[in-house]
Amino acid sequence: MKIARSFALWCVALVVVGAFAFALHPHSTSDNSRIAHLETLVRCPACDDLSVAVSNATSAIAVRHEIATKVHKGESDDQILTSIESVYGTSILLAPPTSGLGALLWIAPVLVVLLLVVSAIRLARRR
Amino acid sequence: MILTWLGRVALYVCFVGAVGGIIEQARALRHKRESRARWWALVAVVGIVGAIGVMEFALITHNFSLAYVAENNATFTPLLYSITGLWSALEGSLMLWVLLQSAITLGVLLYYRRDRSDAVVGWATIVLFAIGAFFTLLMMGPADPFLHNAAHVLQGAGPNALLQDNPLVAVHPPLLYLGFVGFSVPFAFAIGMLITGRVQDRWPLEQRRWTVLAWGSLSLGIVLGAWWSYQVLGWGGFWGWDPVENSALLPWLTATAYIHSVIVQDRRGLFRVWNLSLAIATFALTVLGTFFTRSGVLVSVHAFSSSTLGPLLIGLFFVVVLLGAGLLAWRGDRLRAPVGVDHPLSREGLFVANNILFVGFAIVVLLGTVFPLLYQAINGTQVTVGTPYFASVAAPVSVLLLLLMAIAPLVSWRSANARVLWDRMRVSAWSALVVVAVLLSVGVRRPAEVVAVFLSVLAAGAALRTLRGALVTAIRRGSWRGVVRSPTIGGMIVHVGVVILALGIVTSTTYVKRSEVTLASGQSTVVDGQLVKFTGFHNVKDALRTATQLKVSVDGHQLRPAVTTYNGRNGQTVGTPAIDSNLLRDVYVTFEAVGGNGSTSGAQVRNDLPRGSVVLGVTVEPLLAWLWLGGLIIGFGSALSFFRRRYDEGTT
Amino acid sequence: MKRSVMAISLAAIVVVAALSLFLAMRHPITNATETQSPLLGKMAPAISAPLLGGGGTLNIKKDLGRVVVVNFWASWCGPCKTEAPELSTFAWQERNRGVDVVGVVFDDPLGAAQAFAARYGSLYPSVVDADGVIANRYGVLSPPTTFIINAKGIVAATLIGPISARQLEQAVARVKL
Repeated sequence: MKIARSFALWCVALVVVGAFAFALHPHSTSDNSRIAHLETLVRCPACDDLSVAVSNATSAIAVRHEIATKVHKGESDDQILTSIESVYGTSILLAPPTSGLGALLWIAPVLVVLLLVVSAIRLARRR
Repeated sequence: MILTWLGRVALYVCFVGAVGGIIEQARALRHKRESRARWWALVAVVGIVGAIGVMEFALITHNFSLAYVAENNATFTPLLYSITGLWSALEGSLMLWVLLQSAITLGVLLYYRRDRSDAVVGWATIVLFAIGAFFTLLMMGPADPFLHNAAHVLQGAGPNALLQDNPLVAVHPPLLYLGFVGFSVPFAFAIGMLITGRVQDRWPLEQRRWTVLAWGSLSLGIVLGAWWSYQVLGWGGFWGWDPVENSALLPWLTATAYIHSVIVQDRRGLFRVWNLSLAIATFALTVLGTFFTRSGVLVSVHAFSSSTLGPLLIGLFFVVVLLGAGLLAWRGDRLRAPVGVDHPLSREGLFVANNILFVGFAIVVLLGTVFPLLYQAINGTQVTVGTPYFASVAAPVSVLLLLLMAIAPLVSWRSANARVLWDRMRVSAWSALVVVAVLLSVGVRRPAEVVAVFLSVLAAGAALRTLRGALVTAIRRGSWRGVVRSPTIGGMIVHVGVVILALGIVTSTTYVKRSEVTLASGQSTVVDGQLVKFTGFHNVKDALRTATQLKVSVDGHQLRPAVTTYNGRNGQTVGTPAIDSNLLRDVYVTFEAVGGNGSTSGAQVRNDLPRGSVVLGVTVEPLLAWLWLGGLIIGFGSALSFFRRRYDEGTT
Repeated sequence: MKRSVMAISLAAIVVVAALSLFLAMRHPITNATETQSPLLGKMAPAISAPLLGGGGTLNIKKDLGRVVVVNFWASWCGPCKTEAPELSTFAWQERNRGVDVVGVVFDDPLGAAQAFAARYGSLYPSVVDADGVIANRYGVLSPPTTFIINAKGIVAATLIGPISARQLEQAVARVKL
């Protein structure tokens, strides 16, 4: 029982530390952090797979300005991404839209894991 | 014309060697006599070495009668970049591939020459020769490196600018290719084992040895590639989930799964058929990767492009899968182990979880890479699948893998005993909590970082504990040789390397700070705690390039970020970043723009700024150097792992 | 569970066969992105410059009434090599359908540009842009950049990156509407 008690003690400590971590974690929905986040989702128009956050091509800088302006105007993330998409085409977003065929890409990991886990359980069990 | 014919003859010799090897080995198998195939392997090696000799001679002497040299070399190209010009374009890269393939085939034949009448070795040999013959055939046909240049040119185009401003171009491709080609060996042996039905005795562990060699090279190759991108590309990033990068990652993932699950086969005889499938899948993914890199069907900065090679390479991919899966379908069910996993939380069970994660992640990365093609075929519009997608899938996978690394080395085989596990984990568990508490109190609070550190301490704890156990045993026995041959030491060192690498990745990406500063000559400023001072310009002009360098000091260290224009038709203007690196943080400085009215360098000009002032991009990334340190440790650990003894050899 | 390995292996062969066939039929990709340009909807800036191969001047004003595709390229630009055959293909197939293609050399020495045009067998005329004046007017910062000018002389689309014949067809079809 001695070992079980030390484990329980550790679990309590884990919960305490976890609670602190959660309470202290920086939640900023400030404009700047929104802009920074959106910049990582949009591709630089002249590049193959760089986001506008890291590219210094002129077209990337132009898109960064657009994002900043729209955020300050108060548009939501979705609105901003949709309007950029309508100007540059769907391929400007670094992750495909979650509706339609693109949804497949987001469901796929879950399906794959489920498939593998089920197969593993059935094949690896002791016979 | 001489060079063209010399080179082509050498390639034909290589091809003859490979085909002769196949025929000789087939006859040896049929008549059940000893094979002389290793002589044919030698012929193949002599052929490809000759071909490479001709090409290197042409590159070093800047002989433009070969079209390849005219496209990738110039009279002012320095010696190092002339030599590496061998693999900077499609046709030449195939020569490097065939060289490594032929050398490895010869190596395998010599290593097993005492077993040359063994049917497993025989069939494996035929497969290895066949692969070499295929790639040589590509060079004898659509991808001819020795094409004669009909025009009499006095100057070549020179290499691509990004392939001549960093010496890592000399190591990254060879290591990467060594990894790819190395995976053909476990594949060949898997075919041999399936055909002969012998999936036990020593062959699985022999296979593992070669896989570890290939895996180690590939890991180092990938890390060096990341380091190279980091040093030259200009934004402090090191991985872009680009299709060619993913092509190297896919076989690495299945190979990692294989390295782990074959431990279970060694110890308990389980997963025989699964391991064969993984060996086949790894090589198949390697071939698929060369298809993505060389067919040009996916958008990538790294791709070579040729529309004839594409269908041929995908054909090889299909043949590889057909052969492997076909043999599995025929023989697989008969070869399965009669027992199974006893408990899902035993060591075997956790290895199953490990495999699910690696193979699952590989499938998802493959899907993400080909998705734009599928989407366009169905919907007609183009989509991009980039970092946001891959990173969101990679994050939970990495968390689970770190967790597995923290538990699995401490869990027993065949059973799961919570008490014993807790007893072994206690020290790391408490250390992890203490470290996290300390970090929270000093202001490190981002959830990604906190979780990563917590799991890393646990994982490192498990690895160190196991290492300590192995060392203590060895010291007690007084046997240092025993340490090297211990089954766990290489792997645990690799785990430590992985933990360091993971911490480097998470910390540098979570806490990266990018800023731009404008400085006049002599001015300095403080960016994120680093003192940055600009002291003036320095112009460089030589036969190779023209560059405008900035004299910058960061925390007292001298850096020279620059904008460089390489001469030659293939030359371009590229930014040359400068990095001040230590174990705590990297400061990445780029020359963004110069003020004034005009510049003779290729830098951007900002008319709104006074003349003589510059705009510097300064990116500070904490713990970035841990990536390279971790990679080095992984390389060392995998080299050590090559010498691992079989479970039942010697004392445990 | 007896034949599970066989079933899974055969399923894998089928899936891989489908994937291989699909991939084998893909073409090497070229794709340009449409961008916002301050010129959209405005009169296209004048282009009147000497032809690359010599033999006179080319002025796009005389193309009024036809769609003009203006492509800025350079011999040192990698993606320009990929798109060169596509542009030629497009130029040839559209020559009697009211579309003209004009290339503009961007920041390139004369000899290199001529060698490039000869090497890639361009089937449309290119002009030399002395001092980068035309590039400046069009706001081109890096090749390849393509502008589609409609029959009235208004800039209708701007694309950055290597363009394919198919993309050109789609873009021009939109413009002709």
